[in-house]
Amino acid sequence: MPLAQTATTVPVVVNDDLCIADKGCTACVDVCPLDVLRIVEKDDGKKTAYMKYDECWYCMPCEADCPTDAVTVNLPYLLK
Amino acid sequence: MDEILDGLTQIDCDILIIGGGTAGPMAALKAKRKNPEANVVLLDKANVKRSGAISMGMDGLNNSVIPGYATPEQYTKEITIANDGICDQAAVYRYAQECYGIIQELDSFGIRFQKDQNGEYDVKKVHHIGTYVLPMPNGDTVKKALYRQLRKARINIINRFMATRLLTGEGRVAGAICVNTRSAEFLVVRAKAVIMGLGAAGRLGLPTSGYLYGTYENASNSGEGYAMAYHAGAGLANLECYQINPLIKDYNGPACAYVAGPMGGYTANAQGERFIECDYWSGQMMQEFFDELQGGKGPVYLKLNHLAEETIAEIERVLHIVERPTRGHFHEGRGTDYRKQMIEMHISEIGFCSGHSASGVFVDEHARTTIPGLYAAGDMANVPHNYMLGAFTNGAFAGMDAADYIADVDYASFDMGEIDAERTRVMAPTKRDDGIPPNQIEYKTRRLVNDYLQPPKVTAKMELAQKRFEEVRDDMESGMYVRDAHELMRSLEASTILDCADMAAAASMYRTESRWGLYHNRVEYERDDENWFCHTILTKGEDGKPAHKKQDVKPYIVEIAEDERDAYYKQRVGASSVAAE
Amino acid sequence: MPVDQLFEDFDDIADLAEGLDDPSPGARIMAVIELADNADPAAIPFLAKAIADQDAGVRKQAAQALTDFDGPATAAALVSALDDSDPAVIEAAAVSLTELKDPAAGDAILPHLDATEEVKLTALLAGIKELRRPEAMGPAIKALAHASPAVRIQAVGVIGWLQDETALPALREAAKDADVKVRRTALSALGFSKSEHAETTLVNGLADPEWLAREAAAETLAKTGGSQCVAALRSVLDDDYWQVRLKAVRSLGKLGATEAAMEIAPMMDVPVPNLRKECAAALGELAVPETVRFLEKYADDSDPDVRKNVRWALEKLAA
Repeated sequence: MPLAQTATTVPVVVNDDLCIADKGCTACVDVCPLDVLRIVEKDDGKKTAYMKYDECWYCMPCEADCPTDAVTVNLPYLLK
Repeated sequence: MDEILDGLTQIDCDILIIGGGTAGPMAALKAKRKNPEANVVLLDKANVKRSGAISMGMDGLNNSVIPGYATPEQYTKEITIANDGICDQAAVYRYAQECYGIIQELDSFGIRFQKDQNGEYDVKKVHHIGTYVLPMPNGDTVKKALYRQLRKARINIINRFMATRLLTGEGRVAGAICVNTRSAEFLVVRAKAVIMGLGAAGRLGLPTSGYLYGTYENASNSGEGYAMAYHAGAGLANLECYQINPLIKDYNGPACAYVAGPMGGYTANAQGERFIECDYWSGQMMQEFFDELQGGKGPVYLKLNHLAEETIAEIERVLHIVERPTRGHFHEGRGTDYRKQMIEMHISEIGFCSGHSASGVFVDEHARTTIPGLYAAGDMANVPHNYMLGAFTNGAFAGMDAADYIADVDYASFDMGEIDAERTRVMAPTKRDDGIPPNQIEYKTRRLVNDYLQPPKVTAKMELAQKRFEEVRDDMESGMYVRDAHELMRSLEASTILDCADMAAAASMYRTESRWGLYHNRVEYERDDENWFCHTILTKGEDGKPAHKKQDVKPYIVEIAEDERDAYYKQRVGASSVAAE
Repeated sequence: MPVDQLFEDFDDIADLAEGLDDPSPGARIMAVIELADNADPAAIPFLAKAIADQDAGVRKQAAQALTDFDGPATAAALVSALDDSDPAVIEAAAVSLTELKDPAAGDAILPHLDATEEVKLTALLAGIKELRRPEAMGPAIKALAHASPAVRIQAVGVIGWLQDETALPALREAAKDADVKVRRTALSALGFSKSEHAETTLVNGLADPEWLAREAAAETLAKTGGSQCVAALRSVLDDDYWQVRLKAVRSLGKLGATEAAMEIAPMMDVPVPNLRKECAAALGELAVPETVRFLEKYADDSDPDVRKNVRWALEKLAA
């Protein structure tokens, strides 16, 4: 019973030009109550935060606590 | 991160506090202050900095009892009436007496309450004769201020560990078993006292949007406190008194009658007519709301577009900054302007939450549960209409009582086999090669909750629910499959949600009467004070299924006159009244 | 997992502060966040250094981080940030200034209250307000002449919080300000005074062209009391705005103005439940027997809050 790969649009968007994950920042990952954000290494070797799990309460600490204003919380498509 | 590791660590502490949201931090601070020698550990499955119902803040206190504005007697009376009389007043009364001290303490933490232009408290008159609403102009900083206090007090904080079961032995609490949400490593905490502040069961019903996490409550509050208390053998009270709230449709955030009501906003039907006059949340009010939606006069709206520009600007300022800041984005996305359109409302999914109703783990006025050494506070404990200040205050009671309790006890011994059994249970979904992912187990459970448990409650439907829940449980236990530690956390939540669904069905079946308006509207039964003027206490029976008993309501401290008892009935606008200006 | 990795760290401040010398602004921002999270006042001097960083992002983070601390050194660092070239830094510093609680922090604010720049002076006045430093009175009165209403509102706030009768002339002047928000704030700030001058100003405020000011005056008159206030409040019971009527009713109730009872009683017939509720409560406070029939008519009001207030009022009348 293999699992399907179903696409989903995610509400939290990170501007990787502004993200300072490379400097060890994990502010957004740390504060998410649902723990849905992670840090990933990009093709150019730099790191950025991104939304790994589509389980968002659109509560905003990730956006509010980002020191470089790199994070935007949109409403999940199903309810906006 | 998220890779499943094998590991087990054990630590000892005097007081383990599970849940770092609202009640937990206050319990930790109070316990530490009362006994600076005590080893206090505060554990959260998220990060204490931003965990719990007030993750993003709160716009005010709904139930402050401030000398000169309201009395403990008045407040106790109001709460008793609002709960159809089913209320042990001691806990409510103690809260009412001591919450002002907590307000002052929060003020000293830097959480600011609205003051007038002379620097005095500015309490808004909202409902009843007493005055209970105290706005918080910098309410968005609540969590930050709390966290600062925890760090200053050098409280031991453990983040990203989820408690899954309590340990008991010698007839009292012995600790808890926890699992890391990012590595699946186990942690066993031996403790002389355990304080639970795990919040509401907010992921019980499915929101109408169908988005699993689009709940009214912070979606991380999935009801672990109820499930852990149940499996440990504690009593849970009146779980049939569900939480259902009037919300902004789809967005599922509060419509904030507390903010808009005093400024002249109100709930209206499709014709723009007012149909309930009191916007104070109660089961009766929700019944009227439900009837209007079902009776062809819906949709139901929050009406603000008749208000003065200055008033609307003020409402926007409060509602869009604090508590759920995405609210402004939501309205913007739909082109809703408070000045022009009414705002569509709906009723929320069901949940357990004493913050707005009266159900939860049974506690007394010291926040003690029925298990010695085990405490509960906040949305998961059964002190009615707690709200945020109740969580702080009852959390404080728990912390202070626990600091005394640990002085006289040593660690309770427990069966080490419990740990092995729990590890096996927790890790089972990681041992399979494929199967059903947790989100499907959860979705199905919650969809069934909506289909069969949502009021009005019908016996045949609830019996069907029980049957279907058993099938889902079989699927879960034999076939749930996870790929990483994060999914493992979700699988544990799915299991908790199913436990809560079982309890909701069983408790609702047991009370064969209607009470608390929509919250427990059993269509086949009328209200029956003769047989059901009592608490219902649910425990885990010998057969592993919910068992029930009735428990007397303790004699009142504040008497309620016969003719006052129906004060929350008759909420519908009568023929004599006219639409508001 | 090793036991020491379970818990949140309490790192050494000096070690964390080394991160402020990192060439990368991102790393310096992280150092600022960690310094703040430690909640140890020993971090203040380092954050004060970071607030002068060459990178605006670091400066903004430092201004936010200082919210977690108090006292003169914190205040001094925040005041210095009000001269920053980046508006985001200034805004963060202004917010942090309003979070100060320790009156001693005012030592760092007071010498700068002669500032004239709008944003800076607004932030300084907002910061000193809750610290209740009497030395701020003079500069606040002077600031009432500032061209910016935002400055004038904060200046009124400083004066109101000090609750000093000698400042009455200034507040009365502010109650005639060109800006309605300044007038409203000034009228509310008069609440501490029991003097006839304050009362007169508030009575005049009841005739303000803007309802927001009339509402504030009607509400505040309950605090000052005085010989003219009852007649004046009765005169606004037919105000165009129910918000003004509501406050007038409440104040008349609080003042025990029994002569107004028979004017309030017929107002029970208004369609605004908030106002009916208030009328019932006021009638209870006034307890004039003739009003019983008006209250009884609403004993079964559709609004439970109105019913409760009616019930309470009838109990008071029976007693």
